[in-house]
Amino acid sequence: MSDGPLTLTINGKPQQFERVPDAERLLDTLRWRAGLKGTKEGCRTGGCGACTVLVNGEPTLSCLVLSHEVSGENVTTIEGVAAEKVGRIVIRAFAEAGAVQCGYCTPGFVVALAGQLQGDGTPPSVASLLDGLEGNLCRCTGYRAIQKAVVAAREALK
Amino acid sequence: MIRSDAEPKARGALEYGTDLEAPGMLWAALVRSPIAHGRIVRMDLSPARKMPGVVAVVGPEDLRTLLPKAALEAERPVFPLDEIRYRGEPVAAVAAETLEQARRAAATIEPEVESLRVDARIEDIFPEWPSPAAAKDPRVVGHVHARFGDVDAKFRSAELVHSETYRTSGVHQVAIEPHACLAEVRNGTFHIRSSTQTPFGLRDDVASILGIPESRLVVEGTWVGGGFGGKGAAFLEPYAVLLAIASGRPVKLSLTFEEEFELGRTTLPSIIRLDTAVHRGRIVARRVRLLLDTGASLPGRDFAVGYSIGFLLGPYRTTAYEIEGFALQTNKPPFGPHRAPFAPQSVFALESHIDGLARRLGVDPIEFRKLHAWREGDRTAYDQPVGPIGLEAGLEAAARTAGEWRAGLPSGHGIGVAAGFWSTGVGAGGEARLWLRPDGLTILEGEREIGNGSVVQGLALVAERVLGLPVEAIRVEYGDTATAPFDSGVFGSRTLGALGQAVEKAARSLANTLATRAGAQTVQLEMKNDRVLVVAGRRRQKLVDLLTPEERAAGGIEAHGKHYGSERKIDASRVVTGTVYPYQDFTAAVHLAEVEVDRETGHVRVVRYAAFQDVGKAVDSASVTGQVEGGVVMGLGTALSEEMLWTPEARLANPGLLDYRLPRIRDVPPIHVEAIEGFAGAGPFGAKGLGEPPIIPVPAAVANAVADATGTRVYELPMTPERVARALKLL
Ligand code: FES
Ligand code: FES
Repeated sequence: MSDGPLTLTINGKPQQFERVPDAERLLDTLRWRAGLKGTKEGCRTGGCGACTVLVNGEPTLSCLVLSHEVSGENVTTIEGVAAEKVGRIVIRAFAEAGAVQCGYCTPGFVVALAGQLQGDGTPPSVASLLDGLEGNLCRCTGYRAIQKAVVAAREALK
Repeated sequence: MIRSDAEPKARGALEYGTDLEAPGMLWAALVRSPIAHGRIVRMDLSPARKMPGVVAVVGPEDLRTLLPKAALEAERPVFPLDEIRYRGEPVAAVAAETLEQARRAAATIEPEVESLRVDARIEDIFPEWPSPAAAKDPRVVGHVHARFGDVDAKFRSAELVHSETYRTSGVHQVAIEPHACLAEVRNGTFHIRSSTQTPFGLRDDVASILGIPESRLVVEGTWVGGGFGGKGAAFLEPYAVLLAIASGRPVKLSLTFEEEFELGRTTLPSIIRLDTAVHRGRIVARRVRLLLDTGASLPGRDFAVGYSIGFLLGPYRTTAYEIEGFALQTNKPPFGPHRAPFAPQSVFALESHIDGLARRLGVDPIEFRKLHAWREGDRTAYDQPVGPIGLEAGLEAAARTAGEWRAGLPSGHGIGVAAGFWSTGVGAGGEARLWLRPDGLTILEGEREIGNGSVVQGLALVAERVLGLPVEAIRVEYGDTATAPFDSGVFGSRTLGALGQAVEKAARSLANTLATRAGAQTVQLEMKNDRVLVVAGRRRQKLVDLLTPEERAAGGIEAHGKHYGSERKIDASRVVTGTVYPYQDFTAAVHLAEVEVDRETGHVRVVRYAAFQDVGKAVDSASVTGQVEGGVVMGLGTALSEEMLWTPEARLANPGLLDYRLPRIRDVPPIHVEAIEGFAGAGPFGAKGLGEPPIIPVPAAVANAVADATGTRVYELPMTPERVARALKLL
């Protein structure tokens, strides 16, 4: 198969793309074909977390995933996360904690955190939430404010 | 208070350089040199031109035909016209319909090269410490030498001389957003959109590199995904403009992280020698010598060494000194600014040295610093006046906290202190335009917020304080260099101090105009039902009622404010050779670190941290905390893990996040942030800039804590487990 069509459910809407190269990464399909540029492009090598999206609800580095690999799956980007309750709470917590400076890392953090907080029942412990953010780099905030946002978002969802 | 840009950024709704797009846009890729030093014998671009999707390919020859003036601008060539000076240096560029096509075509261009001898390290140039005569070596691209007082006599008669050598490494800014820009030609005007800290500086820079008149260049900044000094001067823009000219289409160029690292204009390694003479418990004379790797230097590298070297004298009274610095050209990428350029490295050496000296003398390191610390009214080494500075106050606050920590200190732990000063660039000029409309205030700026909040939050808060208008009714709008008022850019911790004053002046002139019209001494503004009210004494009236018919037609009243600093003077008689640079508008930072050192692996864990930051007057305390925490953690990276590693062929061995380790969320200790107020700065309301100061003392504070914990000093950055273990003789 080469340059084949691709179907993805993005933020709940099924979408079709024609002639998507085999080697195309999910990050690029989302940003340049679906026009969803809230997912940020950082290192493209799995090292920074800026490109985090949810694939079937799981936080995933979209720069490491080939689009055809996730053909037919459910992809949620920051735009989708921001439209839901958990996402709104997380975004609010980041803003209130002063955890947003340049903001380039923020959508990735928000998605990675919202992904862990989704679902019913008690949210995971703060320690395990922070473990889930070990792959997200922030160069501006020094992480202290992000840690506060994690605690606040978890409290708000308890 | 929540910053107005926080939620839109968190939702992913704002456009950064990497997000830029234009109809009909092409994607660009760079062809980069495979060797660090040599000449291009032949480079055939024609096969690449025939590759699928390729629209334009430009190399040195094309430069001569497209922009002959640029080819003559030999000081900063777009492409090497003669010598290749570092590995990865761009030698040609390609634009194609897709990024893949551009990269594939770029990969087919394999220049035939002839290698020349590579200077990868300082030691390659000077295996021994150079004599002043070594300045004649063509690889010495900057030499500065200054002295004051009878240094030799004081060294001879001193009771004790403390001499040490320190080494520091190359570190990278690593903004999470890579460099990105988009260039297009519209009606004969070159338009550049770029993720830049300095739109106006970028315009002038590109104009001079490409030989284009400034009036034909327009730069518009995007939101910036981290700058830290790395997004200042022209970098990718000249290539994008060239390709836009050659193709007749908009061209987008952004870097991969590998390119970020390999092309990085950033902090490079150094070797520092410090000799200090002590008599009767006081420092009486000092010698400071610096060998600074400035890479494939651009002209003007004497600035790098001439500016940096003063930080090696520190914020201490100096009666007699001699400083000498060499900027050395190697085949690494060019040296460039990186948050408080070279100050964390200088201060690592100096504050380690002072700390060790105090211990050797058997006196408390904080008390020893206080003996010599600058106070208002002192003179710097270049005989500049020292203004209000919260250094002693910071040292005292640190002493109290250190005492508390010391009380319950577990064995194997240590506490270290370090102080630093910074010269905030309030002198660099800027202007602001304010528009007061019936429904709120707009501040028009040419530069974007780069993250620290000084534009989006700081400027709005300055206007709020002057006018009384709530910050929610104040918007910051961004123009391009053709429409917005001039500003020097976001760098040097100057934005709030300098641009803030321009905003303050414009706001005051608005208030004065309205006061005159209202027949009052002063007025304040407030909002009611989304309308601006002018309050004069007990009278409240709608703003509209105070506007002239012209202003009503124009939709509001405008005011312009300017701030241009004056030039600072130094005592030139102290300078023997080269140029030293004056500092101004001093601020201080005193830091405290507690560490635990693993006696088997050499691993250093920072247990807790405290930063006492002279802020003059805090305009926004949340921003103070954010800047300090961010600076401290970036400094912890410099202290413990970040290091660019070059091979003897000057190839960067770790061009990516895999082997260049940044601090992560679980690495950061609790950080106590304390603002020291009461030592007014030159900024609005006495504020001082603080983008850079918080990173400065960090490596030194950690090093001194390691020495306190182990009794052993580490003389080289970063203090990786391996280096610490070697210092502890575990390896
Ligand atoms: S861009 Fe995907 S991890 Fe950095
Ligand atoms: S806010 Fe800039 S990288 Fe996190």
